[in-house]
Amino acid sequence: MTDSHSTSNPKQKQVVARERFQHRALGSTHDQLKKARVLLVGAGGIGCELLKNLVKSGFKEIVIIDLDTIDLSNLNRQFLFRHEHIKKPKALVAKEVARKFDPRATIVAHHANIKDEQFNVEWFAAFTIVFNALDNLDARRHVNRMCLAADVPLIESGTTGYNGNVQVIKRGKTACYDCKEKQVPKSFAICTIRSTPSQPIHTIVWAKSYLLPELFGVSEAAAMNLDTSESANNAEEIEKLEKETAQLRELREAMGSDDFVRKVFDQAYKKDVERLLSMEDYWKNKKAPIPLDYETIASGSENIDPLVAKLDQDVWTLQQTFTVFKDSLLRLSKRLAEERAAALRENQLEPVIEFDKDDEDTLDFVTAAANLRSAAFNIDPKSKFDTKQMAGNIIPAIATTNAMVASLCILQAYKVIKGDLGRTKELFLSKANMTGDSSDLPNPNCMVCSRVMMRTKIDLEKATVGDLVDILKLELDYTGDITITTESSQMTVFDYLDDDDDDEDSLAKRRDTKLVEVGVGNGTSLIVLDGGDDEPRVDLQLFVEDMNAEREQALVVKFVFNDGEKPEIPRKPAKKPTEMNGTTTLDGEAQSAATGSKRKRGQDDEVEESAPAKKLQTSANGATQEDDIIVIDDEGAIVLD
Amino acid sequence: MADSSQSQAGTQAPLDPTTMSNGANTELPVLPGQPQDPAGLMASMADPTMMPVLPPMQSISADEIALYDRQIRLWGVKAQEMIRNANILLIGIRALGNEIAKNLVLAGIGSLTILDHENVIEEDLGSQFLITEENIGKNRAEAAAVELRRMNPRVNVIADQEGIMTKMPQYFAAFQIVIATSQPFEMASTINMSCRMFNTKFYAADLHGLYGYVFSDLIMHSFVIEKDKSNIPSKAGTAETSTRMVVHVETKKENNKLREIVTKQEMYCPLMLANSSPLPPETIRSRRAKMRVPPLISCLRGLFDFQKQTGRQPSGRSEDLALYTKITNEKHLELQLPHETLTATVFRMFLQNLGTEIPPTAAFLGGQLAQDVINVLGMREQPLQNLLLFDGDDFKCPIYSLQPVFDPSLSMMEPLDVGMAPGMGVNGNGSMTTTNGGGPVSDTTQMQDDAHQAQG
Repeated sequence: MTDSHSTSNPKQKQVVARERFQHRALGSTHDQLKKARVLLVGAGGIGCELLKNLVKSGFKEIVIIDLDTIDLSNLNRQFLFRHEHIKKPKALVAKEVARKFDPRATIVAHHANIKDEQFNVEWFAAFTIVFNALDNLDARRHVNRMCLAADVPLIESGTTGYNGNVQVIKRGKTACYDCKEKQVPKSFAICTIRSTPSQPIHTIVWAKSYLLPELFGVSEAAAMNLDTSESANNAEEIEKLEKETAQLRELREAMGSDDFVRKVFDQAYKKDVERLLSMEDYWKNKKAPIPLDYETIASGSENIDPLVAKLDQDVWTLQQTFTVFKDSLLRLSKRLAEERAAALRENQLEPVIEFDKDDEDTLDFVTAAANLRSAAFNIDPKSKFDTKQMAGNIIPAIATTNAMVASLCILQAYKVIKGDLGRTKELFLSKANMTGDSSDLPNPNCMVCSRVMMRTKIDLEKATVGDLVDILKLELDYTGDITITTESSQMTVFDYLDDDDDDEDSLAKRRDTKLVEVGVGNGTSLIVLDGGDDEPRVDLQLFVEDMNAEREQALVVKFVFNDGEKPEIPRKPAKKPTEMNGTTTLDGEAQSAATGSKRKRGQDDEVEESAPAKKLQTSANGATQEDDIIVIDDEGAIVLD
Repeated sequence: MADSSQSQAGTQAPLDPTTMSNGANTELPVLPGQPQDPAGLMASMADPTMMPVLPPMQSISADEIALYDRQIRLWGVKAQEMIRNANILLIGIRALGNEIAKNLVLAGIGSLTILDHENVIEEDLGSQFLITEENIGKNRAEAAAVELRRMNPRVNVIADQEGIMTKMPQYFAAFQIVIATSQPFEMASTINMSCRMFNTKFYAADLHGLYGYVFSDLIMHSFVIEKDKSNIPSKAGTAETSTRMVVHVETKKENNKLREIVTKQEMYCPLMLANSSPLPPETIRSRRAKMRVPPLISCLRGLFDFQKQTGRQPSGRSEDLALYTKITNEKHLELQLPHETLTATVFRMFLQNLGTEIPPTAAFLGGQLAQDVINVLGMREQPLQNLLLFDGDDFKCPIYSLQPVFDPSLSMMEPLDVGMAPGMGVNGNGSMTTTNGGGPVSDTTQMQDDAHQAQG
């Protein structure tokens, strides 16, 4: 550490040999990055690469956080991890291994969830720059919000197979993670899954989310990603499906008996298919399904070894599939019986078996059950390997893409640290090439970053709802026509409309209620909505911190202003935002004509992206008639089958 | 093997740019550590560890599928098998070499030989993550190999401490792919021509601070692209570009959709020709396209010529700068690029970065190059044709196909049939010749399609 301090003295710059190249290539940026405090969220594919680059580039203070442990399938790309590290926490192992890259660097590792209360806005505010190396939307959104609130620049990145992207997020200067609507998660109309499958994914979802839970788990239509919302068109059909489900559940009684396999088979692949076949309208324009006959298939599969299930690369024959179906059904039945007996002894809850892509029994069952249904519906069967990917939502990942994306994150960080945000770019990596576009401007209608964000210290022992409302009026000039809700649970803390309608007693009671009693605690995020009729202000987001040490002060609610200055809370943009050029939020260099026109383009894109998604949700409900089955494929387009 | 190579050693000089590069230049590139003792050479050639003989092609085990699961889902088991049987030589194991080696070892290639005769110095610790303080003074290849073996014990990692200058051309015969990093142009070109003699594919790459390049000469390479059949079906015999040809088309039905399995072939030219070839016609024709060409290409060509003339890199001395600027300006003109793109800032930035290595540039180029190698081994995807430039300051990464306009020399350089070359006696590393054969491949991996479905 002492070495690095001496090098930052501008009078006599003595660059140690190992820093000579960086210093020549980067100049003063290199001095600045040595003083930066870095937060790295995620120690996976991108995280391992980033940590190496950060330490080797000369960053001296790095905090890394990851809640995951190391798995065998990580080792093809997460190069800091070895076989002997399997099951150990990623963050801790990454820190130990990366220390060797430069012993002068200080690395702090947390084996924890970034959403934990301890990592509040104040904690984020202590960093110079934050890197996201995450694998899920929820955590990405969370860090995005925290960085906006703490006003810390965030380098956001992600990869899928050969594709990758890198984005620089800085409050008020560039678009945030939520400025563009993200793709909605894939969901299927229940009737597509239950009545009219046409693609392998439909039968796989059926086996995983319908057949397996009905036999071995809790039947949870809601948790299935299936859309069961009724409409006049499909109410009758839904009713039939429910009856069918009831019949299948009755089969559970037969579990353990000699003819269990046959009963399940006949119900799933004969009776159900025959019922569907009787609905002739369905099959006017497409090939009708063929019910499977137990005897025919069973007699042809007598000599097949159930070990055929190990051939996960091959597409099994119908007879092989039947063998695996039978064998895995018996394995699961036996397991459940044993677990039930144990639960009964120890007086525990009724056990269930849920799908887990790494649980061979469930994977074998889902593969075989789906492929039998595919056989009935004339759909191409899939190998166990492919089924695992589709049922388990596995995203392919390779070392090279992660390395390139992590590299671009560092190059962007150089610009951020130099204060050259205008030269950061939104970068996309694909099989063919890398493309870049100057960073987007913030979307003035973004639900997340158009808010003004503020840390708020509250004496949670004393402060009441009235205290909060009063200080909003006093310090931030609100009129009082405001609604305050908690962000996560959308609970109403205060609503000015209650003032008008309700009697004085209830309002007074409301004002005297302690904030803790309406769900406000350390780490709570509150949204203040301006209810004023003309030119309402943009939403204000308050990040609550317990006052702790400062509790003795007279004020029970205190805002923490960035740079010590009271922020201007701008008015909401007019309904049609086309003429907005964002003068309130942008710095000078970002206002060029080129970027201005670019933002308009960005907004158009967004409309195009989000519109079909909304259409989908509404039309999916009525998807039962005839043959217009609607599926959301990966591009978010509508496929009419 | 040993016999024939020894007889060769008596009659032919080791890798020497002056005898290999058509004698265009009489000056030797100055490379340290060039041994004068031919006996030493012969000893190294006879060392059996230098030329690993790979086991015959085996199908992949369940353990390997579990380990490589997330990549097999992208390129399929057949490609993984070809990757697993690959034998690759990496020349120069500095920052870029570290990254390339890491990516290839993680991907699970069969054998990686790393060749570097230099010892670790303190500067190396700045960007080379495979080594630590304790390695200072030790051979770079040896030091890096230890960490690489730990990274993936399934890969056979061989450290070769010899200098590249000591290697006979047939040294390259055992490898499917040779990657030369941080080599001066003359040396890279000489290695390239030696590789061509044995039908060995070749890459050259280097980085200078925020800048770098990757060049490829795959001689003749076949690969498969699988896609949905469009309204205009692919046809065998179609020349898609001046270097790419469709050689075979198959159609299959998948989920009521027609899929095309298209086998294509790319023809390459060696580094020496590419370096004097113009930019592609579509770039030259458009002023806007020319304005977008990074002046880095002129800077690199200027550097190659400067090295040729002086045997070293330009220093900060004014006469060096004058000469370098003069050569680079000539190259810029020769490339028909607009003079306003080669500014004083460009010169200053490039010269400041010259000869330095920083981690992100190494990681980007190492990722690009290794992925191209992996695709080439698996015979999937469009490979690099033939120069990739990287500007890490401006986030640009264009690819230009540099092809000689007249190619009388190209016909002289067609790869020799290894078995036919008199006196060569190259031993049969069977997998090499078969993998390089140009026929259609049946690698139709459905995985790619499914992989796309999984994208979130």
